[in-house]
Amino acid sequence: MNENSPPRDARDSDGYLLRAEGITKVYSDGTVALREATLEIHAREIVGLLGENGAGKTTLTKILSGLLPPTSGRVVSPRGPVRFASPREALDFGIGMVHQHFALVGTFTAVENVALSHERPFSALRLEETRKRIEKLMQESGLHVPLDVPVEKLAVGEQQRVEVLKVLSRSVRLLILDEPTSVLTPLEVDELFALLRRLRDSGTSIILITHKLKEVQSVTDRIVVLRHGELVGDLKTSAATTERLAQLMVGKAIEGETTAVELSADELPRGTAQTAKTAVKAESVLHVADLVAKGNTGEITVEGLSFDVHGGEIFGIAGVEGNGQSELVECLTGLRLAVSGTATIHGTNILGKDPRAIYRLGVAHIPEDRWRLGLVLPFTLSENAILGVHRWKEFRGPFSILRWGKIRRHVRELMDRFDIQATGPNAPAKSLSGGNQQKLIVGRELAKDPAIVVASQPTRGLDIGAAKYIRDLLIEMRNNGRAILLVSADLDEVLALSDRMAIMYEGRFMTVCSPKDLNREQIGMLMGGVACKEVVG
Amino acid sequence: MSEQETRNQSRLVRGAHRTLTGLHPAVESLLAAIVGLLIGAALMYLWGYNPWKAYWALFRGAYGGSYEWASTLARATPLILTALTFSICVRAGMFNIGAEGQMFMGAIAAVCVALFKMPAGIHLIVGLVFALIVGAAWSIVPALLKITRGVSEVISTIMFNWIAVFLARYISRTALVDPSHAERTLRIPVTARFPIVVRGTDFSYAFFLSVFVAIVLYFVLWHTTLGYEVRAAGLNPTAARYGGIRNKRTMMVSFLLGGVTAGLAGATIIMGMPPSYAAFGPAGFPELVNVGFDGMAVAMVGRNHPIGIIAAAVFFGGLTAGGRVMQLYGSNPVPLEMVHVVMGAIVIALSIPELTRLFPIMVGEGKRVVNALRRPKSAPKKGGSA
Repeated sequence: MNENSPPRDARDSDGYLLRAEGITKVYSDGTVALREATLEIHAREIVGLLGENGAGKTTLTKILSGLLPPTSGRVVSPRGPVRFASPREALDFGIGMVHQHFALVGTFTAVENVALSHERPFSALRLEETRKRIEKLMQESGLHVPLDVPVEKLAVGEQQRVEVLKVLSRSVRLLILDEPTSVLTPLEVDELFALLRRLRDSGTSIILITHKLKEVQSVTDRIVVLRHGELVGDLKTSAATTERLAQLMVGKAIEGETTAVELSADELPRGTAQTAKTAVKAESVLHVADLVAKGNTGEITVEGLSFDVHGGEIFGIAGVEGNGQSELVECLTGLRLAVSGTATIHGTNILGKDPRAIYRLGVAHIPEDRWRLGLVLPFTLSENAILGVHRWKEFRGPFSILRWGKIRRHVRELMDRFDIQATGPNAPAKSLSGGNQQKLIVGRELAKDPAIVVASQPTRGLDIGAAKYIRDLLIEMRNNGRAILLVSADLDEVLALSDRMAIMYEGRFMTVCSPKDLNREQIGMLMGGVACKEVVG
Repeated sequence: MSEQETRNQSRLVRGAHRTLTGLHPAVESLLAAIVGLLIGAALMYLWGYNPWKAYWALFRGAYGGSYEWASTLARATPLILTALTFSICVRAGMFNIGAEGQMFMGAIAAVCVALFKMPAGIHLIVGLVFALIVGAAWSIVPALLKITRGVSEVISTIMFNWIAVFLARYISRTALVDPSHAERTLRIPVTARFPIVVRGTDFSYAFFLSVFVAIVLYFVLWHTTLGYEVRAAGLNPTAARYGGIRNKRTMMVSFLLGGVTAGLAGATIIMGMPPSYAAFGPAGFPELVNVGFDGMAVAMVGRNHPIGIIAAAVFFGGLTAGGRVMQLYGSNPVPLEMVHVVMGAIVIALSIPELTRLFPIMVGEGKRVVNALRRPKSAPKKGGSA
């Protein structure tokens, strides 16, 4: 696969194009996204940036392309250090980024969108000139898009090509693509990679952000692996094996370098877990068969999943985000219409029902996005504590009058039981810290006394104490005989909590097994899309 | 150096913004009212009037005695109701501008009681019910367009306002015209009129109906599951959906409730307006025009809270009532239009806390424009160095 790459010597004589030196990025909420990352980009090469969610891939490229300032460290070009105040300055310098979520004006045509990216205040609009430039560019690059159709009418792959054209039209020397293949069909992926190779050969450097091992191996010249904000590997693609990459990406293989908080088995109440495991498996609570669902852009994201979740077990779904987990959860909780398949709770169909009907069957849902889905932030604690259960008899008197007295008592109980730190039931939810907000949601959902808990990224963004507390609650629920479907991008969490686990990749389960049956290397490969037979064989 | 300056500047702006947005809404509204009055005073001064004397006349005309209070509360009556129309929909996350049209239809519906005889009291109630049904019916089509086709309620309600205005004019000139006075419709029969509270004024018991409706709506919004759902859907529709709330239903309900109050507003004007108790439709409804739109201003100043709306309506009613006195007062009277200037200035002043957020952006944009103009077009552009 490397026959296209230019000889190493030629590249070295070119020197580097851009170098990131000791970049550290700490976000305002205290999250350390990058730690002392140093990366050199040479001319005429495709660099694959590999890593799990939150590894810092996007942060690093955003710093390179001027969207974010680094907390410390600097970006250096052969002409000296550079600092971009805006993406536009980075573009002027020759660095362009294509984001995962496109920045296109839907009602504009491709020409208008490209022209827009060239706009300066008070300059005249030269659509004809732009069109000629694009046509020339399309000829050179072999990248073709319809020019006179509003881009919202184009397929996702075509929209992406418009984005690429937009950046290329600024004659960039470094093109950064953030997860470009996540929305593409396999054929479109092949076309994209062919284009990237052509661009590389004509002198453009490319950074490709991805979590897919096969892709990164098929198209790149060099692979850089990030883990928890640290650059843990920088190796030539020809020297990289799938196993090695998986090790680097998921971690633990390199001693002394990992700083992530690892959940060890003895930190968790596994003792109780063992007893629960030896108990007789309860009957299936949630049964899913051949479930197919579409994503927001209309592509199939869940491709015929079938599984059961039993009472008294935690079924964990691991995988890099964006592989259909969100769509799966939304189908099961009534927030998204499935395309086909069946899903039942205790034998009652739940597909196509609205959330209220599904909750009545004993489903509790801890949503992945607590601000968008879980809470009404301007509402008080009391008001948030009854979201979804506000029509229950305990809280609703005659004429649908809300019994605020009872609700406040209920909230005080929740605050005691789930250790929610707040000034009182009338405090607005937005005044709470993230951990307390999440405890409020978890408390509300667990207080429903559900038969099954669907927990999506339940500990994301929480400090260690709050995260541990919520994990303990889930285990407690499991030990009480409830079924728990845990979806998490945090691999350690899934490994530590699950009785059975699945690894999801591109809408399918790569495997369903016990967490003990796989080592981290195998898991890394499965998460990166290397099929189970290859891993085991 | 200059960077330091801009940083200080932006810190100042941020501080001002924090102070202004941290205020209690009632204080914010009060400040906005004062700013509006000051702007009005400045304009009066510029045009050679004496603002102090004018405001004194306005104040006396609005709150100077029982007659003045009666006049003020009479003006406030329909404003409370149309403000509720707007604020319910804002609470539900929508921008309903249809109060004007729904109010026109309610007024016409109220006039219809002149077509039949009934015992006193019942006749009034039947008229009110008829008006609120017609007002609600007028809001159904924009609501359905919004729910089923995603048509912006701003556009559809504005268009429905015009349909209502001309339809009401047509009906008032044909089916409901008073045969002896071509400039107005049939009069509301004595049995269907609101009783007058203060003799010799137009302050009728309709005011208490408005206040009652406002209190009921306060109760519905904050103490029933229905209101809970409406407010949740308005603040965070996705979370509401997650909570099992049917957003389409809350939209429909809030539109219908808004139509009800707007329809009632029309009825209170016609059925509580001595001496004529008729709509001057052929003359263009001078008694109705703009009450729906003024209601939006009242709702904003009242912070979309029913109780706040009552207070704001009494203030705006006072401005209108006092403005009538002001324009007759002294040798160089200030025209009534100045009152509308003040009202507009108050609404604009309400947005100042949000506006401060724009200042840093505007400063940044301005600098960029200046830089772009200064930079020679062909000069090579560099990414700036640290």
